[in-house]
Amino acid sequence: MLEFRTQVFNGYAVKYSPFFDSRIAVASSQHFGLVGNGRLYVLGLTRKGIVAEKWFDTQDSLYDLAWSETHENQVLVAAGDGSVKLFDIGIDEFPIQSWKEHMREVFAVHWNLVSKDTFCSSSWDGTIRVWNPNRPTSLFTLPIHSCTYSASFSPHSPSLLSSVSSDSQFRLFDLRTPASASNHLVLTIPIHSAQAPTQLSSTQIPGPAGAFPPNEALTHDWNKYRSSIVATAGVDRLIRTFDIRAPGQGPLVVLPGHDYAVRRVTWSPHLSDTLLSASYDMTCRVWTDGSAKADPSHAPSEAFGGEQGRELGRMSRHTEFVCGVDWCLFGSEGWVASTGWDERLCVWDVREFMGPR
Amino acid sequence: MSKAQQRLSQVQSHLASSEADIPRGRESILSKSPDDIVVTCALRTPFTKGGKGGLKDTPAADLLVHAFKSLLARSKIDPFLVEDIAVGSVLPPGGGATEFRAAALVAGFPESTAVKSLNRQCSSGLQACVDVANAIRSGMIDIGIGSGVESMSSQYGPGAVTEFSELLDSHPEAKNCKVPMGVLSEQMAKDRSISRKDQDAFAASSYQKALKAQQEGKFDAEIAPLKNVKFVDPKTDEERMISVNKDDGIRDGITAESLGKIKPAFARDGSIHAGNASQITDGAAAVLLMKRSTAESLGQSIVGKFVSSSIVGVAPLLMGIGPWKAIPVALEKAGISKDDVDVFEINEAFASQCLWCVRELGIDEKKVNPNGGAIAFGHPLVSKSLFLLLWTTHRAAPRDLGAAFPLNPSELPNCSKTYIEEEMLTWESLKGCTGARQIATLFYELGRTGKKIGVTSMCVGTGMGMAAVFVKE
Repeated sequence: MLEFRTQVFNGYAVKYSPFFDSRIAVASSQHFGLVGNGRLYVLGLTRKGIVAEKWFDTQDSLYDLAWSETHENQVLVAAGDGSVKLFDIGIDEFPIQSWKEHMREVFAVHWNLVSKDTFCSSSWDGTIRVWNPNRPTSLFTLPIHSCTYSASFSPHSPSLLSSVSSDSQFRLFDLRTPASASNHLVLTIPIHSAQAPTQLSSTQIPGPAGAFPPNEALTHDWNKYRSSIVATAGVDRLIRTFDIRAPGQGPLVVLPGHDYAVRRVTWSPHLSDTLLSASYDMTCRVWTDGSAKADPSHAPSEAFGGEQGRELGRMSRHTEFVCGVDWCLFGSEGWVASTGWDERLCVWDVREFMGPR
Repeated sequence: MSKAQQRLSQVQSHLASSEADIPRGRESILSKSPDDIVVTCALRTPFTKGGKGGLKDTPAADLLVHAFKSLLARSKIDPFLVEDIAVGSVLPPGGGATEFRAAALVAGFPESTAVKSLNRQCSSGLQACVDVANAIRSGMIDIGIGSGVESMSSQYGPGAVTEFSELLDSHPEAKNCKVPMGVLSEQMAKDRSISRKDQDAFAASSYQKALKAQQEGKFDAEIAPLKNVKFVDPKTDEERMISVNKDDGIRDGITAESLGKIKPAFARDGSIHAGNASQITDGAAAVLLMKRSTAESLGQSIVGKFVSSSIVGVAPLLMGIGPWKAIPVALEKAGISKDDVDVFEINEAFASQCLWCVRELGIDEKKVNPNGGAIAFGHPLVSKSLFLLLWTTHRAAPRDLGAAFPLNPSELPNCSKTYIEEEMLTWESLKGCTGARQIATLFYELGRTGKKIGVTSMCVGTGMGMAAVFVKE
């Protein structure tokens, strides 16, 4: 395991560069993101370990970041003062662009992976804004009316945009629909809804239908292979997967295990059934949602329905809340980076923490 | 509300609902996690009386070889997977480091298995298990053995403690470290007004519980019997080979009344005598430890898990109050209260100190030492795995405890030499392995009764206390 110390700054988000396998960016904040400055680290994985190639300080805390999909030197950050900033590694100290329209803390930024010409941001002010990096103001605003912790473009379609928020809802926007009173909103799934009876599996938590109370949702991610599958997680400590083609069915799989709220969940870029999560319980955990039927050991005796998700391994080296985790896109399929309030960035191989499969 | 306060309350709201649902106390330590340190096998040799019991002519290292061989046979663990062995022992010269390494090789461990010896007086056996558990937890090793051994018959004696220098003697509290345990316990019994009657009743019940447990075969599962042991008959001096398959310190027909007739050992008006102090015994115990994930991938059956441990210091003269101070610390680290605990194995160095600790902590006496304690079996300072280790530790220690328990009767006015020697022997023999023995006994007792949470604790010579929390699975 490799480590880098983000001294005095508590890590909130980490992302591998989509262009270089040796470059990682970390968004971090002083004083646990409550008050003080933020810092964006651009780190290089070298033979001498992890070295800081560059860093940028900001006035307020940083909560999220996204690498530009068009320019290998540019990184977006989400700041506590409501601004979204674009930094260029080649230019010292100041951002090359800063957009300030959100009224409160920005919690997520995400670049459009398909069209690559837009990105979105979501905020405590209850809105998602969609931007073009070349324009000084946002293209449009999508109202959520609830603190929106996570917003993301689909990696399969340039016009699908999703969010989860503190009202326990997953929302799907289709930007191809005409602008109307619905503001492109095409689908809402209550995350706490009960699992459909046909989906009952061993991971189902017993209880009457709809027994889950609404809970703040903190993170979600699109599956990189199955275009209709998303995973969500949040304060109720459960990770769930949904199929947006069957929104009424409730979650496909519920993965219990974390002891405290889940701060980040992300699908593997290599394996269609594998998830990675980071939690306030100071662990990162690797999961399968049980969909990899090709491997019989993953779905014992379960011919259809009743997918069995389970924890494959956990990394408990962090000594404080883990807030950010990301898979390396390159090389062998297990490398990840995680960061948290213990002022550390850890780069590790999930296979080291997995039991016998 | 300022911005910082709002952000703080937001983070608090993320945690608040989890806080309410997170299992606490009992529930939380009963839950299973791949990182748990688990025991997959725990056993001990029989504990026999120092100087006259069946193992009196068996050297400590030979006892250890037997415990190791039995552990390998019972657990079916591949010896090549065992990375380290810790042996708690109080009396052997040089800590026993050389002969214990040799013992491991004889028992069938490969050269790649490391061995260390350690000495924390009466709690050496428990300390050995805790050290191994901590080494596994920290990632230093994956699989290890905590064990304890003590041959008070062969190694208990005045040479066990080095003479104090003038410098040590010049410091009043330091000097107290060599006050004999019997003498200081006598003083403590007087100060804390623990009557002779209560002590005798407690001691008699220890004998009776142990006898009953032995008759019901409750120790059979934890004992690894020895065959063909050399034994010199003390009466005829004839040497023959015998089998030792049960504890021989457990005496029949002991009652509070019969104990009431024994003369005090340490003071004419005292209350402590050979019948209400721990015996001197010989024995060994061993516990196999690893992570739950390791145990599952190797197909080892899990006996129980190690939860927490504590070590505390107390005044050397008040050595006996060690468990009173150590138990709450271990419980706090485990996040449970004393009411969550099903069984306490508290070493009975002397009835007086054990009784005082139990009363002071407000523990239900029914939960304490349900199968008797060191008074009945002896206290081989290190061996009974934990329980075993504990027991063994105590019994074995008496010989090594020279400092704490000087063998010079002239320092103990008003008591007969025989009693003193008897007392001392009893003490020392059990010391090394008591902790390990207590672990083994604890697990088997919890298993028999369907109970879950056990605490093992003991006072430690020179003024310490140690405790550990285990869960039976």
